Amino acid sequence: MRIRLNVNGNAIELESATDRTLADVLREELGLIGVRVSCSEGECGSCTILVDGQPMTSCMMLVNQGEGKEILTIEGLGTPEDLHPIQQAFIEEQGFQCAFCTPGFILSAKAFLEENPNPTEDEVAFAMSGNICRCGAYPYIVRSVLNAAEKLQAGSSN
Amino acid sequence: MQSHFEYLRPSSTKEAVQMKIEFGQRAKYWAGGTDMTLRWRREIDRFSHCIDITYLTGLDNIEVEEDCIRIGALVSLSALERADQRHHLLKTLSDVTKLMCTPQTRTLATVGGNLSNASPAADLTPPFIAMDALAEITTEDGIRTVPMDQFFEGVNRTVVGDDLLSAIEIPLPESQHKVVKYHRIDRTIVDIALVNASTSLSADRSRTITRAGVALGAVAPIVIRSPAAERFLEGKSIDSVSESELEKVGEIASEDAKPISDVRASADYRRAMIKVMTARCIKDCIDELGGTIS
Ligand SMILES: Cc1cc2nc3c(=O)[nH]c(=O)nc-3n(C[C@H](O)[C@H](O)[C@H](O)COP(=O)(O)OP(=O)(O)OC[C@H]3O[C@@H](n4cnc5c(N)ncnc54)[C@H](O)[C@@H]3O)c2cc1C
Repeated sequence: MRIRLNVNGNAIELESATDRTLADVLREELGLIGVRVSCSEGECGSCTILVDGQPMTSCMMLVNQGEGKEILTIEGLGTPEDLHPIQQAFIEEQGFQCAFCTPGFILSAKAFLEENPNPTEDEVAFAMSGNICRCGAYPYIVRSVLNAAEKLQAGSSN
Repeated sequence: MQSHFEYLRPSSTKEAVQMKIEFGQRAKYWAGGTDMTLRWRREIDRFSHCIDITYLTGLDNIEVEEDCIRIGALVSLSALERADQRHHLLKTLSDVTKLMCTPQTRTLATVGGNLSNASPAADLTPPFIAMDALAEITTEDGIRTVPMDQFFEGVNRTVVGDDLLSAIEIPLPESQHKVVKYHRIDRTIVDIALVNASTSLSADRSRTITRAGVALGAVAPIVIRSPAAERFLEGKSIDSVSESELEKVGEIASEDAKPISDVRASADYRRAMIKVMTARCIKDCIDELGGTIS
C-alpha cells in the first residue's frame, strides 16, 4: 500500500505492508533510529514521537495512522550544532546514562512543557511517568526538564 | 508485500458498520489500538480486516447539555482528562483517566475502546455504570441505546456485535444534584486495578438521596452493580448517614462481589477492599453533596 507521511517537516511517500507499526516504518524504512522500540506494549515510552504535537507511543500505531498528521521524531528536533533547549538541558544536567530512553523523554518533555511551561518537580515526575529509564537516571531527568523549562521561558521572554 | 490484515478506513460511521457486517468475525475495529496492539501481537484476536475508526469525524466531542453529558466514543483519555473544568462529573472522570495508562498512551486510548474491550478491571466502566450512563450504539439503519449495566456479556464481550459504539450519555435528572466518586487498588502507576469501585448519588432539594449507583470492578467477569447497597442508601438524607451505616453498606456491597483469586490478588483481599472502597466512595459523594456523616 502507498502511504504518505509528513515526518520532521518532509513529505514522504513510501510502500509498506499495512500490518506494520509506525515505529517500525520510521526506523526501518526511514532510518529514524532515534525512535527506540523496547517493550512494544506501550509501557516504556521509548518509542514516543509527537503526532500533531501530542506524545504518542508509535509502537501502538499502525503505519497508516500516521497519514495526514505532522510527525516529529528526535531527528527533527535541533541539530548537533544548534541543539534544542531541551536537548541542551539534558546534557547540562546529565539526564541520562546509557541514553537509550532519552529521545522518548525529550519528546515527552517537549509536549509537556508546551502545556505547562512552569511546572513543579512533582508535575514533571508525573508527566514523565510514561517513560522508563532502566539506568534509573530519574532525579537527573527531572532536573533536566526543570532546567529546560527555565531555558524555554528565558528564550520566549527575549 | 504480504500483510496479515487488510487496512480499511471508513469515511462515515454507517460505512464502518457496513464494513463490519460484511466481514463479521474476521474484522476488528481499531480505535486507539492500545488494547488491539497487544491482542493482535499476542494473537488473541485474529482478523483479516482492520477497520480504522480514528478518522471518523463527529465522535470525538464532549457535549454538556442541561439534561445530559454526551461523550463521543472516540474521545481520547487525554481529552477527557482536559475536560475537568466543564462539569463536576467530568472532574471525577478526569481524575480517573490520570490513573490510566501513561501520558503518551492516553493520547491514543479512547473512552469507547476502554468500554468495548470489556475488561472487568477497566477503570471507566464502574463510574459509567454507577451514573446510570447509556451506550449509544450506531447500527446500519439507526441508533439503539443500551444502559451501561446491560452493555457487557462477559470478559471482552459486549452487546455491540457488528454495530459501533458511538457515544456514552450520562443523564442529568432535573433538579437533582448528582455526583460520582471512584477508588481503585493498584500496585503502582501504569497498572490495571486489582479491584475497583465507584458510587454515584443523586440528591434532591430536601437533601434526600433519590438515586444511588454502586458499581464494583474486577470482582466478577463483568463489572457488577450492588442493588442491595443501592436500595440501602436510597431514601436516606445526606445528613443522616452514620459511620456505622457506611461500614454496613460496604459490607452489603462486598457480599454482592464474586471475586476470584488470581496472581494479582486473592478473593478474600478483593472482598475486603470492596468493603473499604465502597464506604470511601459514598463518604466522598456525601462530602461533595455538602452532607455530613453523623
Ligand atoms: C501501557 C498501558 C496501560 C494501560 N492502563 C490501563 C488502565 O490503567 N486502566 C484501563 O482501564 N485500561 C488500561 N489500558 C488498556 C487500554 O489502554 C484501554 O482499555 C483503552 O481505553 C482502550 O482504548 P483504545 O481506543 O486503545 O481501544 P482499541 O485497542 O482500539 O480497541 C479495544 C477494543 O474495543 C473495540 N472497539 C474500540 N472502539 C470501538 C467502538 N467505538 N465500537 C465498538 N468497538 C470498539 C476494538 O475492536 C477492540 O476490541 C492500558 C493499556 C496500555 C497499553
